[in-house]
Amino acid sequence: MNLWLPKSAAGKRWLGLAPSYFIIGIFMLVPMVIMGVFSFLEPNPYGGVKPVGSLAAYVKLFFEYDLEDNLVFNPGYINIIFRSFQLSFGATLLCLVFGFPVAYYITLQPENRRNFYIYLITIPFWTNLLIRTFAWIIILGRGGVIETPLLAAGIIEDSLRMMYTDGAIAIGLTYSYLPLMVLPIYASLEKLDFRLLEAASDLYASRLEVMTKVVIPLCKPGIIAGCILVFIPCLGAFIAPNLLGGGKNLMLGSLVQFQFASARNWPFGAALSMLLLSAVVIMLIFYARAASKRASMEGSD
Amino acid sequence: MQNPSSHKRNKMLPVGHYRGLGAWTVFFFIFLYLPIVVLIFYSFNANRMVMNWGGFGFDWYLKAFNNDDIQNAVWNSLIVATVATAFATSIATVGALVLARGGNFRGKTISLGLITLPLMVPEIVTAVAVLIFFSAVGINWGLGNVIIAHITFCIPFAFMPIRARLEGMDTSLEQAARDLYASEWETFRFVTVPLLMPGIVAGAMLSFVISMDDFIITLMVGGAGSTTLPVYIYSMIRRGLTPEINAVSTVLLFVSIAIVTAYWVVSKKGTD
Amino acid sequence: MIAAIDIRGVTKVYNPTSNQPVKALDNVSLTINDNEFFTLLGPSGCGKTTLLRLIAGFEQVSGGAIMLFDEEIVNLEPNQRPINTVFQHYALFPHMTVADNVAFGLERLRKPRSEIDATVERVLNLVKMKELGDRRPNQLSGGQQQRVALARALAPSPKVLLLDEPLSALDLKLRQAMREELKQLQKETGITFVFVTHDQEEALAMSDRIAVMSNGEVQQIGGPTDIYEHPVNRFVADFIGDTNFLDGEIVSFNDDLVTCRIGAQSMFEAENSGGHSIGDKVTLFLRPEKITLSAPDQASNVKTRPGKVANIVYLGNQTAYTLDMGDGIELTAQARPREDGKLPFAMGDSLAVGFSARALRVLAQ
Repeated sequence: MNLWLPKSAAGKRWLGLAPSYFIIGIFMLVPMVIMGVFSFLEPNPYGGVKPVGSLAAYVKLFFEYDLEDNLVFNPGYINIIFRSFQLSFGATLLCLVFGFPVAYYITLQPENRRNFYIYLITIPFWTNLLIRTFAWIIILGRGGVIETPLLAAGIIEDSLRMMYTDGAIAIGLTYSYLPLMVLPIYASLEKLDFRLLEAASDLYASRLEVMTKVVIPLCKPGIIAGCILVFIPCLGAFIAPNLLGGGKNLMLGSLVQFQFASARNWPFGAALSMLLLSAVVIMLIFYARAASKRASMEGSD
Repeated sequence: MQNPSSHKRNKMLPVGHYRGLGAWTVFFFIFLYLPIVVLIFYSFNANRMVMNWGGFGFDWYLKAFNNDDIQNAVWNSLIVATVATAFATSIATVGALVLARGGNFRGKTISLGLITLPLMVPEIVTAVAVLIFFSAVGINWGLGNVIIAHITFCIPFAFMPIRARLEGMDTSLEQAARDLYASEWETFRFVTVPLLMPGIVAGAMLSFVISMDDFIITLMVGGAGSTTLPVYIYSMIRRGLTPEINAVSTVLLFVSIAIVTAYWVVSKKGTD
Repeated sequence: MIAAIDIRGVTKVYNPTSNQPVKALDNVSLTINDNEFFTLLGPSGCGKTTLLRLIAGFEQVSGGAIMLFDEEIVNLEPNQRPINTVFQHYALFPHMTVADNVAFGLERLRKPRSEIDATVERVLNLVKMKELGDRRPNQLSGGQQQRVALARALAPSPKVLLLDEPLSALDLKLRQAMREELKQLQKETGITFVFVTHDQEEALAMSDRIAVMSNGEVQQIGGPTDIYEHPVNRFVADFIGDTNFLDGEIVSFNDDLVTCRIGAQSMFEAENSGGHSIGDKVTLFLRPEKITLSAPDQASNVKTRPGKVANIVYLGNQTAYTLDMGDGIELTAQARPREDGKLPFAMGDSLAVGFSARALRVLAQ
């Protein structure tokens, strides 16, 4: 059904795909390869790299030099990486707990109302994340939206000091990617045949069992998709940890940016990025495997 | 005959409904919109101290509008978004035509993966990679660097609505055109493109919004002089909180909301 | 006769507060006996499925009571009622195997594992699906899925089994075979079956008693023969089987027969079922199979009238003839093909149309 111009069908195809391949190939794939190469070079103190091969960047992940130039184990960066995974897990979990009931609720609504809810969820998603996260500073900060009335009412005596904590970052992350959890789950639930819930109840399942034995197993694909869509951006997040965590609570994203801004250690930044990229690729491979396995098991659902 | 238990009848929820779901959802939307509301609210704060409410005023909007740096940043944002959208949408359109209409050819899955690649990779990684690339190759085109980077990650966003529209399109219309002696080009021009237009427009809108909102990639890839609005806002936040941020942010907010709403309206119309 | 289910004055209104409330059931009362194969029969929208869902517990009554072996159940949730349902499109859990589907109810009832396994095997045997316990629903044909749905609903030994048009998705031959099996199953298990269908042939073939419904009301309850031979009103007569209707007026009585004038001047005698007077407007109904057709010169043991063949519809094992009886009256009758397969009569033929007075029954208008 190819309605294009000159040459053979295959020729037309590649004509149409060429621009995409060109742009994304040259400005994403090639750069990633170069980034990989850079991670094995020496840093240039004025920014950039020196064309000298070195494993220093990767060593720096685990070790540092003490005053006597000996390599000593440095848990600092490992901690940051570990913390990034932790916070990402936490945010993903929060998104799941918070978002699943909402996706379910929307599914229960009549058809015409549903689109409106989805529209409402989508709007914040397309507005600038920076300014929305900035608003959380106003909300959580000293003298902010949460504290001021509580202080005035005498419920608390001193600032809650919510800013610049891991908790604040977690809230920021959860907030940033919540729609990405709700939408895939909703897409899954929408296909659910509600007769199955009736059948379960008819067969003596309690209300809780209807949820755990029927609903959740059947929307597992949506849940998994949602978790991945949230977890991956969380891992590499910059805005939330930077604005809400301050300089002390770094995550991978802010650490990487730091290398290219003040620290001027490009290879190290490249190495960290490679780490991040690998983590993402591994997760996506697992997901693709699991998805195809499920597809072959259940046949056409 | 009176039934004996009518007075006992409590409102039993049908199977699959649970109490409290509605309340939970309300709370969810409050959480989701709280920052937006706070932002708008405080943009009218007459008090200099961002956190303390000092009365209602438009001062900060005026200040923001008269600020040269802000004007510059807005201008840059618009240029980048427009140019990037133009390119990204065109590239995405031809790509979508091939992928949605080309049948199942050998490179199909890979092509699809490539086009959606920018969606899968964390933004910071893309930012680093592009930065390193420009540096290594020695491309220093100022705003041009930013534009190129934007084109790259806008392509998938423009792609998705266009492809969705293509897949939902009724091919019998094009077949009818061919039946009525239209050439391939004529069919494309007089039937396919007009029918596809809502999808293309939707794709362009998405791309525009994404470009306007982009922060981390622009931050790292752009040099001095290619400051876009989000980057400028960030620097304002860095320097200290002034309510001008709220005013500027609120305007940006409304622009985004307006475009997204337009996108929804176009999408709805398109599905009729 | 123990009453398994007693429906007392049940009414169901959808959207009662909107400006377009829908009354699906209007003061319906009926009794279903234990061990009975009871059918709710009617066209779509008559309320039969609504009634079934009320019994199962998926909907709430707007008014009235439902008793299960003398206990009120309207306030019980579906999972508290010892009633199980076979859904129209089976509603098998796609993420579980056949065996797990069948075991589901028993597991929810916390039966011991050994009991569950034994019951699953027994019940799968009963529906002839023993070998397929490990399959998934999407690997089964429609007929197989239906058996699994049946097994799943039977496994917890419910007091009443509800079946919502379970055969409607099957093709004809399969449907006919399943009718037999379902009837057998009901006899073997002794469970009360409440069967919903719009197919009157099905209802007649399988039921002990039938409730014919229309517009949210029960039109008639009775055994298949009752319903077929003695419908109480025009709707039931029309819905079940083919019918000839003759509208007219009562002219006279003689003994157990009543004479009616149909059309301008034709007189027909019908069975007198009582309760009518001279001058009443009535409708007579006559089943086509009770009419005999013969050539005018043939001897016949029934009174005949002349009729001309106006239309012929070939149906295979018989042919439907529409006969113009004069005076604006038309009757439909059936005749078998001759041995050589040729049709006995042709268009325009003049025939002797014979039927006994006892074959005509009176319906109130």
